[in-house]
Amino acid sequence: MFDIEKRNRRMMGMGGRGGGMGGRGGGMGGGCYIYDENQRANDTLVTPDVTFRRGIYMNGSMTMDDGNTVTIWGFTDGGGGMSMGGPFPSPAMRVTQGQIVHTQLTVPMCCAHTIHHHGIEPGWESDGVGHISWDVSGTTYTYQWRPMHPGTYFYHCHTNTVLHAEMGMYGALIVDPPEGPGTLYSGGPTYDMEAFWVVDEIDSFWHTLNWTAGTCGSDVGLNDLNPDYFIITGVDGAQSAMNAPGIATTMQVGQKLLARYICAGYHPQRIHFGGLTGTIHISDGRVLPRPVQVTELRAHSGERYDVIFEPDTPGEYIITCEIRHWVSGEVLGTARTRITVT
Amino acid sequence: MKRRDFLRIGSAGLAGSLLGATGLLSWTPRANAATLERTFHVTEGFITQIDGTDVYFRGYSASPTGLDVPGEALIVQAGDTLRLTIVNTLNVATSFVIDGVVDSGPIGPGETRTVTFTVDQPGSYLYHDNLNAPHNRLLGLHGGLAVMPAGSSNELYPGSPTFVQQYFWLFHDIDPAWHDRLRRGLAPNTAYTPRYFTLNGLSGRPPGAPGSGDPSIDSMHDPRSALHGSIGDRALIRIMNAGLAAQSVHCHGNHMEWLTENGVIRPDVWEKDCLYLDGDKGALDVIYPFEVPPDSWPPARTGEYPMHLHSEMSQTAAGGYYMFGAITDIFFE
Repeated sequence: MFDIEKRNRRMMGMGGRGGGMGGRGGGMGGGCYIYDENQRANDTLVTPDVTFRRGIYMNGSMTMDDGNTVTIWGFTDGGGGMSMGGPFPSPAMRVTQGQIVHTQLTVPMCCAHTIHHHGIEPGWESDGVGHISWDVSGTTYTYQWRPMHPGTYFYHCHTNTVLHAEMGMYGALIVDPPEGPGTLYSGGPTYDMEAFWVVDEIDSFWHTLNWTAGTCGSDVGLNDLNPDYFIITGVDGAQSAMNAPGIATTMQVGQKLLARYICAGYHPQRIHFGGLTGTIHISDGRVLPRPVQVTELRAHSGERYDVIFEPDTPGEYIITCEIRHWVSGEVLGTARTRITVT
Repeated sequence: MKRRDFLRIGSAGLAGSLLGATGLLSWTPRANAATLERTFHVTEGFITQIDGTDVYFRGYSASPTGLDVPGEALIVQAGDTLRLTIVNTLNVATSFVIDGVVDSGPIGPGETRTVTFTVDQPGSYLYHDNLNAPHNRLLGLHGGLAVMPAGSSNELYPGSPTFVQQYFWLFHDIDPAWHDRLRRGLAPNTAYTPRYFTLNGLSGRPPGAPGSGDPSIDSMHDPRSALHGSIGDRALIRIMNAGLAAQSVHCHGNHMEWLTENGVIRPDVWEKDCLYLDGDKGALDVIYPFEVPPDSWPPARTGEYPMHLHSEMSQTAAGGYYMFGAITDIFFE
């Protein structure tokens, strides 16, 4: 248990005050609609089968193909609180269907964050939604969940989500069936190799904001996402993703590739498979009643598709994901990778 | 027209629109088709947003002094005849349209017009003013119509998966610069950049915010929007997008059973936690099953979860105010 008194020093819910509260976010002590004052321990915990420990970092960076860098926030492996930089995307969680899982999130007093296991449906106190339970600040909080449906998920911060997820606070979450990696679901197809296509867009301006920006009433432009970079699994989709391991794939005829596609951006996407036909077996962690064959598909924020490719013709296939403006449909940019079949 | 001539609707005025929802949960099938009558007063006014901005709207309103955005959600059954009387209180034309079903044509300033039509096909429909499309619709002239299969109380279409309760989620996005130009009879001259996002006309008021918990202000507690159920209380949700932005509808707690997309029955029912809702009159029908959240341990039978749009810009207001956008809560009771 922890001392609730210490958490009360940050005010939440500036009740009764109208517009224009505060400045442009305030850093320490400046959050307004941040819910860390009622934090308590999770009273549903039992002995877990597996535990993930996560700290946070808010001073990471990503270098783009044009040489520019943008600030990235994320989660670290190990739960040491605030780290100097860290991996992007955040370290993947990989679990087996039916395991009882603990995610221990440690956040220093600097700020508030949560972990929401997107697509996983746990009890409310393990769902990581600040306004319903609480934001985590100055303590370690344990989320408990028992994944029952194999497939592709992701986890992300659900505090000031519009900004924190855009800043990079997300990582892949894979649920394997009891057979383990290599089988999509019990009784379902097998695969020989995997690619992770976590497609996201970055608005460099948003990446200059403070962690509370948008929670105190001032206009920080969070209604309008104008991306200037388009990335796949933390790698610039302009060029670098064409050869990045785990994203780009080299395979042989006769092998089966599972692409785990996550729409991690906020604008809609359309992904083209460069002449290959893929078979969707699972979407959003649920096996489809009948698999669907596609040469392209569209997706919107938070959707996942598990697509198996069994190419029968050698060649280089360029996977192109267009990010389209949510109102105009205009293609804002593309991110590309490849499947090379020998 | 001077600004003071307009009706000004504060939070209290919005309560009137809730009254229109009382029919939702009391739907009972009838053996015979009926003729149903409603009067809509096309009114205008301002609705004050969380940051204090007054934004101009028009609505299909239940009374000449009200401003209902969206208009009352109507539930009828296949074969029914609707006699709608449209009273245009504006000094510009309006219309009443259901795509593929009825089109009143222009109804002039001050004119009253009765529109009579029969609905044959079960499903979910957006009614709207299609003049200067999409402008009049964006200003607030839209609402939802449900056509139940004849004699059925628990299906979307004959043979569909069944439900025990139903809701409408009408999403909208608002660019106040467009609303202001349109109020003055001018064409918008800026790129459409929505700045407010609503669900059934309201936006979120998170705990601690002014109006939080007030069902006439807070979309998280609006009984038209917030899902309430015990395990097994399967809820049909008729989702429509009156705005222009494509959205991703994301539910926590349970996946949604995806029945239709833009009025077309899906070949298979997929279970999804995020669904792509097209902008500009996109539509989905889903069932939120109110099952025990499958990944909970110990198994959870009660609890509170959000539904929010994952296209997260929609979760803001006036460029900030996270959680003051299109969001509601789901209560397992």
